Amino acid sequence: MNDNGCIHLNNFKAAKGTNPYKIVHAFFVTCTSFEARRYKATSCLCFTCGKPGPRMHSCLHCIFFACYDGHIQDHSKSKKHFLYVDLSYGNVFCAQCQDYIYDRELTEIAMSHRMKEAKSLGISVPFMPWLPNNNEAMALRRLRKRRLISPHTTIGLRGLQNLGSTCFMNCIVQTLIHTPLLRDYFLGEKHKCKAQGSGKCLVCEVSKLFQEFYSGAKTPLTLHRLLHLIWTHARHLAGYEQQDAHEFFIATLDVLHRHCMNGVEDTEKKENGRCNCIIDQIFTGGLQSDVVCTSCSGVSTTIDPFWDISLDVAGPGSLQACLERFTRAEHLGSGAKIKCSKCRAYRESTKQLTLETLPIVASFHLKRFEHSSQIDRKISAFVSFPAELDMTPFMSSHRRAVDMGAADNNNAPEGIFEDNRYSLFAVVNHLGSLDAGHYTAYVRQMKGSWFKCDDHMITRASLREVLDSEGYLLFYHKTVLEYECDVS
Amino acid sequence: MTVNNTIAHQRLILSGDRERFKELLRRRLIECGWRDQVRMLCRDVVKENESNNVTFETLVTKVTPKARAIVPDSVKKELLQKIKTHLLTQKDQ
Ligand SMILES: [Zn+2]
Ligand SMILES: [Zn+2]
Ligand SMILES: [Zn+2]
Ligand SMILES: [Zn+2]
Ligand SMILES: [Zn+2]
Ligand SMILES: [Zn+2]
Repeated sequence: MNDNGCIHLNNFKAAKGTNPYKIVHAFFVTCTSFEARRYKATSCLCFTCGKPGPRMHSCLHCIFFACYDGHIQDHSKSKKHFLYVDLSYGNVFCAQCQDYIYDRELTEIAMSHRMKEAKSLGISVPFMPWLPNNNEAMALRRLRKRRLISPHTTIGLRGLQNLGSTCFMNCIVQTLIHTPLLRDYFLGEKHKCKAQGSGKCLVCEVSKLFQEFYSGAKTPLTLHRLLHLIWTHARHLAGYEQQDAHEFFIATLDVLHRHCMNGVEDTEKKENGRCNCIIDQIFTGGLQSDVVCTSCSGVSTTIDPFWDISLDVAGPGSLQACLERFTRAEHLGSGAKIKCSKCRAYRESTKQLTLETLPIVASFHLKRFEHSSQIDRKISAFVSFPAELDMTPFMSSHRRAVDMGAADNNNAPEGIFEDNRYSLFAVVNHLGSLDAGHYTAYVRQMKGSWFKCDDHMITRASLREVLDSEGYLLFYHKTVLEYECDVS
Repeated sequence: MTVNNTIAHQRLILSGDRERFKELLRRRLIECGWRDQVRMLCRDVVKENESNNVTFETLVTKVTPKARAIVPDSVKKELLQKIKTHLLTQKDQ
């Protein structure tokens, strides 16, 4: 199979160019505008029998519509118009070759139309699988060594030595290494470093770490260099005593993000001025806070970026119940009056937090450690969490719809096409007491395949075991990725 | 196809919802592995007929019944339910 078309299509293109295909495709296959949709809605009927199918085609020579039940073939024979386009998928049929023909140029046109269509419909760009370009295809032919990933592979799994009390670091590293999009980024060598070879770039260090994890070797790794680099950049974490894994997680993201920011890597900033580094692309969401004045009902809304959500653990319960509480409207009482810009006075108000935008990786921190002047204690209550989580109920848009009375907002088209499903991929656990504790992590290596990482020891685990564990940090990955449109 | 049916269909195209549903279906079929299964079915047909040139028509006739049969019920149900509620709300307007 090749994508150089056939002699008949090439002759046609030489005589008439690609315009006939472009027009048929943009108006009747993949509508790139509302006007096009109007044409498609009203005129896609067989000129011969008047039916809407089966398998409508359009003659590429004279834009004659006919069904595949014999009528397009009749037209083709009598007029000697040998090329016709399938109106459902946009493929070109050549009657002389008696088959569909693949042509790179036409495929590219179709692709760009699909992007434009997605934009005109306000949906994310359809997923396009990776296709090797000429250079990559050549490189693949030259390098014959292949690594086959079997269902029972242990690739990507390596233990980490404990360098004192560094299990808090080990379990965060295991989590990051098994974050699907971060893995793809680093194994795809997307980090283009300006400080190459200086040995000071933490992002380069993490990049090397990914290579080590996926090299196929099985001996446990030692993270001296990484630990040293993080200590240099986050002084408050220095020292060999036990640290909080949550604090370490946030500090690591921060150091990585700063390395991307400080001109080490060329990152384009979005129009809104927010950072667009890989850390922010994966981990940053937007938390909306609505403060409503009880006197005038005026709302003041702010949106703040977040990397994780810290949830109170009151007692036994579920993650969903914690999130429900987190996003519930809360009366601020007379002791906490806020200045209302409308009333120009301090008023009592209610405050509600919702999720305005969701990150690709949603990280939840269950606040199991309570520090107060009187007492430091750990709350070991069991909080259940699901393997698959739908975040829709906690979204700002959903709350708005509920407030407006459309409680089952599955009716709104946005509700139907929005996809906020997440899958669990890592859990960090804290075992033991506050001052004599130990961290371990469960990571999902492949779909349905879980492992427990206890420093240098890696053992297979079941999903049941993961869900029954006393979770401290919970990591969810978006189930379906949405792609942004680059078409103007 | 009745007149009503045609009008409903035209409205679906016009509003763009037909494409939105199509995209939703496409995603679900990729997610559940259906597309990969169909790809394997196609490979099998090509392998069986290695000696002669396999055309699109042979693939369609041989693969379509099997491919239809392995669409998961959960996907059919979700789409049916969503299209139904969608059409009902459209009618009210
Ligand atoms: Zn014609
Ligand atoms: Zn016909
Ligand atoms: Zn031909
Ligand atoms: Zn670097
Ligand atoms: Zn950043
Ligand atoms: Zn007020």
